[in-house]
Amino acid sequence: MIKESINNIKLGAFVLAGLIFIILLLYLIGKNQHLFGASFILKVRVDNVQGLRPGNNVRYAGIDVGTVKKLNIINDQMIEIEMVIDQKVQSIIKKNATVSIKTDGLVGNKVLEIVGAKIPALPVKNGDLLTPKKSIDTDEMLRTLSKTNNDLAFITDNLKITVTRINNSKALWNLLNDETIPQHVKQSAKNIQDITNKANNMANHLQIMVQNIQSGKGTLGKIIADTVIAANLNSTILSIQLISKHADSLTQQLSRTIQGIEKSIINGPGAIHALFNDTVFSNHINNSLQNIQNGTDGFNQNMEALKHNFLFRGYFNKLEKEKRKLNK
Amino acid sequence: MHQSTPLQLFLAEVGQIARFAGKFLLQWFKPRYEFAEFIRQCFIIGYQSLPLVGLTGFIMGLVLTLQLRPSMVDYGVESQLPAIVGIAIVREIGPVITALIFAGKIGSRIGAELGSMKVTEQIDAMEVSGTNPFKYLVVTRVLAAICMLPVLAILSDAISLYGAYLGVNIKGSTSFRLFWMLVVDNLAFNDVLPAFIKTFFFGFAVGVIGCYKGYNSKKGTEGVGQSANSAVVISSVVIFIIDLLAVQITDFLGFN
Repeated sequence: MIKESINNIKLGAFVLAGLIFIILLLYLIGKNQHLFGASFILKVRVDNVQGLRPGNNVRYAGIDVGTVKKLNIINDQMIEIEMVIDQKVQSIIKKNATVSIKTDGLVGNKVLEIVGAKIPALPVKNGDLLTPKKSIDTDEMLRTLSKTNNDLAFITDNLKITVTRINNSKALWNLLNDETIPQHVKQSAKNIQDITNKANNMANHLQIMVQNIQSGKGTLGKIIADTVIAANLNSTILSIQLISKHADSLTQQLSRTIQGIEKSIINGPGAIHALFNDTVFSNHINNSLQNIQNGTDGFNQNMEALKHNFLFRGYFNKLEKEKRKLNK
Repeated sequence: MHQSTPLQLFLAEVGQIARFAGKFLLQWFKPRYEFAEFIRQCFIIGYQSLPLVGLTGFIMGLVLTLQLRPSMVDYGVESQLPAIVGIAIVREIGPVITALIFAGKIGSRIGAELGSMKVTEQIDAMEVSGTNPFKYLVVTRVLAAICMLPVLAILSDAISLYGAYLGVNIKGSTSFRLFWMLVVDNLAFNDVLPAFIKTFFFGFAVGVIGCYKGYNSKKGTEGVGQSANSAVVISSVVIFIIDLLAVQITDFLGFN
């Protein structure tokens, strides 16, 4: 009888151990899926759930705060994801938070990630609809990676060709093996240093000059700093402006006069019009000038004859003598 | 005399087992209840099987982890080893291996025990004395098998997971808390409940087949050995068939 009691106790402990383990396991699984404790519902609408399933985790700042409860097809372009979120984080998640579908690791399960916005907003309420955010798809990543690989292969090929050319270049290797080049480079560096020092000195002098000018020393400084000169310069400029105005009016008057003259030349009744436009008048003038030329020649001959006349020869000789005296 | 073909013999055997199971289903809830015998059978079938089931479970968890580890390292997912081992043990390996060990130990025991009682005409004597041998011998044993196998499977899972934890720590370093979190985080009700429920059917199959084979034992002591042997063989095959049906049903119901 005692043995039977002991056996019963052992059996009871055995069964209890099994029950406790299964209850604990189910409780922990349920806790992970937020089936126990207070929770609330959040929703988000996306065009593609990317393999997300009910039971997948929902994360906020990397912490599991809930699970996907249900996927409802709204229409052919939109699917509504319903999430069960732990009540404890309701005050933390704001209405302007965004939701994206991500993968846990490279080949892991899909997870929904809630990302809070930096702009302040009210906390979410039960049944609120959050804004979806398009996440980088694994396929898209692989496509980009494939393109990068192709580019890298192209670059590597080109690099290989370049390195081969460099290896085969005798001129380059001669250049590299030339021991005088480092000395030249060293000398060049020294020269550059000297030039730099000189440039520094020049800059210093220039700075002193600028300071002198600013402080009103020297001619340029006085010009810049002296207010009397500036006033004189100003009045001079005003005078030049006034003269320019007068010159303008003069130019206009002159222009008008020239236009009048031009008009009178072209259309006027005077002699100038006739001189420029009347060919008969012109011929008369030419003839008259020819006659004057002929008359002047005749007069010169008469005068030469008069010089040799005995009556006037003494007078002309006297003039010659006085002329010679003056030249001496 | 008509000579039966193997197929006819097989179908006849299946039919008789089905009738035997039907008789159990009709008898188990009718009074008089043999509660004391049921508790005694639970102790023998459940508690006394724990060391064997625990030992096999522990070795199974440890070996499974050590075998999986190189492949996981090759794929660079060594950190997921507790999750993979946990799912494998809880969903499939724990219940099935426990049921097979249970069939080997308890199926043969029931077959041999009832077979020897049959060939020594103790069952006939019970009928003469006014005791219902089916209720006393069969119903108590089958019910004990149905109730105890799930408990054994659960404890086997726990011990297997501990073996897996040791296996993980032989070549790595993972705290028990992290190991446990990784296992539980990757388990869902869909993993635990179907596996737990099918162990009731495994227990039912082992109990019914063991009792049937022993209850219908013939040919003296030779028949006892045959009953024990065929009880184990048929129970093991039926366990796999039930497992196949269970996975199809859970898949159909969308639990996978």
